[in-house]
Amino acid sequence: MTRRILRTTRLKVTYPTPTGNFTAVDNVDLSLSAGEIVGLIGESGSGKTSLALALLGLVRHPGRLDGSVKFGDQELLELDFDELREIRGNSIGLITQKPRQSLNPFLNIGTQIGRVYRAHVDANKEEAKDHAIELLESVGINDAPRRIRAYPHELSGGMAQRALISMALSAQPSLLVADEPTSGLDVTIQAQFLDRMWKRAEETDTAVLLVTQDLGIVANYCDRVLVIEKGRLVEDAPTREFFANPRDQYSKRVLALAGERAQATTATAEGETEPLIRVDGLRKTFKLDDGKILSAVSDVSFMVREGRSLGLVGESGSGKTTVGRLILRLLDADEGDIWFRDVDLTKLKTKAFRDYRAKIQVVFQDPFDSLNPRWSVEKILREPLDLHTSMSSQEKVARITELLQQVGLDESVRTSRPAGLSAGQQQRVCLARALATHPDFLVLDEPTSALPPVARVEMISLLKSLRESLGLSFIFISHDLSTVRELCQDVAVMYLSQIVEMGPTSKVFADPEHPYTRALLDSVLFHDPDNRRVDREHSAALQGEIPSPVDLPTGCYLAGRCPLVEDRCRTEPQLLQVTEPGHSVRCWKAVQKYVSQGDGE
Amino acid sequence: MGRYVLKRGAIGLIQALGITIVVFFVIRALPADPVARLVGFNATEDVYAQAQASLGLDQSVWSQFVTYMSGLVRGDLGVSWVTGSPILSEIRSALPVTLQLITLAFAVALLVSVPIGIATAKRPGGKLDKAVFGYGLFAGAQPEFWWGLLFIFIFYYTLGLAPAPLGEFAPSVSPPPEITGMSLVDSLITGNFAAFVDAAWHLWLPVMTLAFIVSGPIIKMTRQSMSRVLGSEFILYQQASGLPSSQVARSTTRASLPPVVTLAGILFGFLLGGAVLVEQVFAFNGLGSYSVRAVLNLDYPAIQGTVLIITIVSLLVYLVLDLLLAAIDPRVKN
Amino acid sequence: MTIPTSPPVPGEHPLEDLSDEKLKAKRWYHDVLLVTGLVIVTVALFLAAFGEAIAPYDPTIPVGPPSSPPSGTHWFGTDTAGLDVFSRVISAPRIDVTLAVSAALLSGILGTFIGLMAGFYRGPLSALIMRISDVLQAFPVFILAMVLVALSGRNLTNLIFALTFLYTPIFIRLTRAEVMTQRERSYVEAARASGNSEWTIAVKHVLPNSLTPSLIQLSVTVGFGILLTAGLSFVGAGVRPPNPEWGLMIANSAPQIVLGEWWTSLFPGIAVSLTVVGFAALSNAIERRVATS
Repeated sequence: MTRRILRTTRLKVTYPTPTGNFTAVDNVDLSLSAGEIVGLIGESGSGKTSLALALLGLVRHPGRLDGSVKFGDQELLELDFDELREIRGNSIGLITQKPRQSLNPFLNIGTQIGRVYRAHVDANKEEAKDHAIELLESVGINDAPRRIRAYPHELSGGMAQRALISMALSAQPSLLVADEPTSGLDVTIQAQFLDRMWKRAEETDTAVLLVTQDLGIVANYCDRVLVIEKGRLVEDAPTREFFANPRDQYSKRVLALAGERAQATTATAEGETEPLIRVDGLRKTFKLDDGKILSAVSDVSFMVREGRSLGLVGESGSGKTTVGRLILRLLDADEGDIWFRDVDLTKLKTKAFRDYRAKIQVVFQDPFDSLNPRWSVEKILREPLDLHTSMSSQEKVARITELLQQVGLDESVRTSRPAGLSAGQQQRVCLARALATHPDFLVLDEPTSALPPVARVEMISLLKSLRESLGLSFIFISHDLSTVRELCQDVAVMYLSQIVEMGPTSKVFADPEHPYTRALLDSVLFHDPDNRRVDREHSAALQGEIPSPVDLPTGCYLAGRCPLVEDRCRTEPQLLQVTEPGHSVRCWKAVQKYVSQGDGE
Repeated sequence: MGRYVLKRGAIGLIQALGITIVVFFVIRALPADPVARLVGFNATEDVYAQAQASLGLDQSVWSQFVTYMSGLVRGDLGVSWVTGSPILSEIRSALPVTLQLITLAFAVALLVSVPIGIATAKRPGGKLDKAVFGYGLFAGAQPEFWWGLLFIFIFYYTLGLAPAPLGEFAPSVSPPPEITGMSLVDSLITGNFAAFVDAAWHLWLPVMTLAFIVSGPIIKMTRQSMSRVLGSEFILYQQASGLPSSQVARSTTRASLPPVVTLAGILFGFLLGGAVLVEQVFAFNGLGSYSVRAVLNLDYPAIQGTVLIITIVSLLVYLVLDLLLAAIDPRVKN
Repeated sequence: MTIPTSPPVPGEHPLEDLSDEKLKAKRWYHDVLLVTGLVIVTVALFLAAFGEAIAPYDPTIPVGPPSSPPSGTHWFGTDTAGLDVFSRVISAPRIDVTLAVSAALLSGILGTFIGLMAGFYRGPLSALIMRISDVLQAFPVFILAMVLVALSGRNLTNLIFALTFLYTPIFIRLTRAEVMTQRERSYVEAARASGNSEWTIAVKHVLPNSLTPSLIQLSVTVGFGILLTAGLSFVGAGVRPPNPEWGLMIANSAPQIVLGEWWTSLFPGIAVSLTVVGFAALSNAIERRVATS
């Protein structure tokens, strides 16, 4: 019944190297039909991108394509440049992983979109310009007539991706190849983007190949799933069947782990312990080149007790990363106090603070970037011991052995340099380094975001078990809500430099009170193909892009995007108010609702 | 935009002045003795003192500086200690000769190097590519004065395809009046066809020598830049969007230009003072030869004047190139 | 003349058939560029040390009939004063190469250190150093070299100082650029969070990771130094006669070229040309190795 759009037979992509040919894509047979959205998952290096490009008859120099790619009744690999050019960007569209790099940096986006249009449709410059404006509006960019004059380097990631998708869709293609289109996008923006893409595909009966590593995306948007491993297609099944019964090893493992996580209970806390870190009225601003003020952190206060973990959640511009840096005094706050037990860290001189660095440690987001590329693991782990302890050489060696065991690394990595380790191993080294001086408190700044799925899950369980065994407290900065739910007993949600909601994770996640928290939770993509996002209503959705925290308005910072906005929201500065013990919200409406609920009891 | 030009101009002027001031004091701090150079080592004390006064060197360094600076603001660069003529007019005769030489050399080098660089970038690893890479490496490492001599030996002495290295014109030809100072331009303006041919005849070998050297780095940079652009994401995406190959080619070229433009600017500024060796070999009276004479004769005002003028011209060239870059590439912030 | 080059860029060398996706380093002895460079540089350094000792004749006194072409007794012939060209050619590295290597090393060390300070510590001093460095870029290098040498006395020490002064800005610029990139990386922040002082971070962490561009530039700078020395001597602002020096030899033989006496300028010229190419080749080979490691 459904029309077949594209079919490959024994598709091969090979690259010549001095030591022989490297096969990136190995004899792949696949087919795509009109209106279906097919997910293609695989690890990095599996050949996903080479395969995606091959569907347009493209290959990066000096690779070559072999086999057959039949688009309709045309054999793409036998066409010449001009014949191919009629199809590319016209009947087959491409969206890439790095939108800002894929756009022409020398032209504004209006001109670029216009050029692609005129390459396939007979139109003059005026018509092309109008078409560009129309397209940008259709992908959710307000103020399109002004935006078309922007250059790619002036756009945010989300904007650039929208510009790219409008270019890809401008000629109404029957097939859209999307290569990890949402990597690097914020969670709420990702949801917006994918929703829009899904709707468009449904309306125009476009076939979509969606390359991704995220099973959540697959579960919520795809009809069918393809799995690629080392260039071979190891799975081709409808989504439901895939999630219920995966056949290949890789998928089995990831699904199993994901399943475990879904089962994992939300972290909860019993009883009260002593406060370990207390932050009070923290404020940090930056002055920009053009004189404007960027508010990174505004009036942030929270407390973390011994043995407990606080999740700090937010998207770009929220300030969560800056908070972490302020606690570590890698940045100095403009105002506010940071208490470690009974010492105000902000009042200490640099030298005096150095002693405290043994007690408050950090793990950063990018494991490779956080390690000195020329040092061995042994040397990396020795450094904190050299700086803060007076141990003898043998004692240090023994301690390093202990640390390696604690983080689950083999002795053999001692002499390796970071480049010789996998991302997961590198991050464990970073964790071991942080633990070397028996710290009381850890700042974990998105430690799992840059890890592949399996390593991510392993790191989370490692953190959990270490918290138990070492009695650690930490603040876990992340945009990944599922991880926060599993790991942190309390959570603080940040938006544009402010905390908008704070409380026990179980409460906040089960019953979010702030509109932003609701939208955030709503954007989480669960691995449940029976409960897809596209099948649900989204009254909580936010409009538009995330603004940058510059020149913030008087009233509520969310006013421009909130579905529940009223006049009062725009004029009245919103304060963080307690609704229940331990739970506070920065929204008069939420407080009002809570109060009236309470009255009604 | 105008404001930017003004700002750069002001900064440039300050920089040029700064360099001249530094040179002023540095050369007076060094142990050389220009008076002795002038009057000989066996002169009597009176003659020495007289000469010293006439050069102004009996004054303190500071008052010498004031005298010089007050002259400078009036546009007076002083008088040569060797010839007695005003420095400004001497430089005004010498500079165009060098400019003509360098500009022609650059034009030739660019015309040849850029297309070759582009062509080899498209076929990396091929025989032409390797040959061109080798040439680029080789040419950029050569002593140009020796190559000048070699070319003279081959083309003048052996093959007779070039004139004797006696300067811009043959002794028998009467040169055109000095209007712009450039031999080709002046002969054209005054309609002196014979002089024009003779000037070109005398120019081709030195131009080729310089072009040979300069083409090395230009080819390497063009190839490198082009190669990088060809492998870039956005060129791939343009192909994926089905744009016509002419548009993709234009995009590629435009994106490859910035580093080449930057390099050309650096090379040009370099050659202003560095063409001296070629000028010496071919006996051209350009700024390079002038500066050599000035240094060897310890002619302080001439040295200062040369440094000042060359710096100003270099900075002007950099300004023009930066504006060009900004026009090509919108990512360059103004 | 010394041609300035831009900072090294990885992966752009066509002398190998290497693809982008998987670059595997070839065996070093198959690498044409590397072998050529190493051989020439080794010979040059050897001659710098022992050239004069193994020369068949004393390079500074007449030993044969003037202006005689290459023969069995005088392999490269003799010049107008009857000095043996071959002996002079292989004795010259003692001056040319030693000078250039010393200047390159000195300017490398100095420039790297200043570049580290300028790049790592923000503030007005860093900006000032950059301004000065930029200004020096507009400077007529050759003229400045002439001035420095001619006015302080034409001896070897002054030549070394002049060259060092001229080449230090290059290393400052290279190191500073690399340092500024490195200091933004997380391992620097991690080092700070571990409790290192700023100075320790600069020297123990950032510096070793910022050396690569400078190391590559060192070899090329030696080549530049040789060219500059030869050029200066050619115009009479460099080494004094009768020292054997390639530029001097070419200068002395220049008037004879038009009379057909080719051997007095050909051989020293080839020597300079080959030596500088050798250093440049070595530099390029190292650059490419580093890029693919």
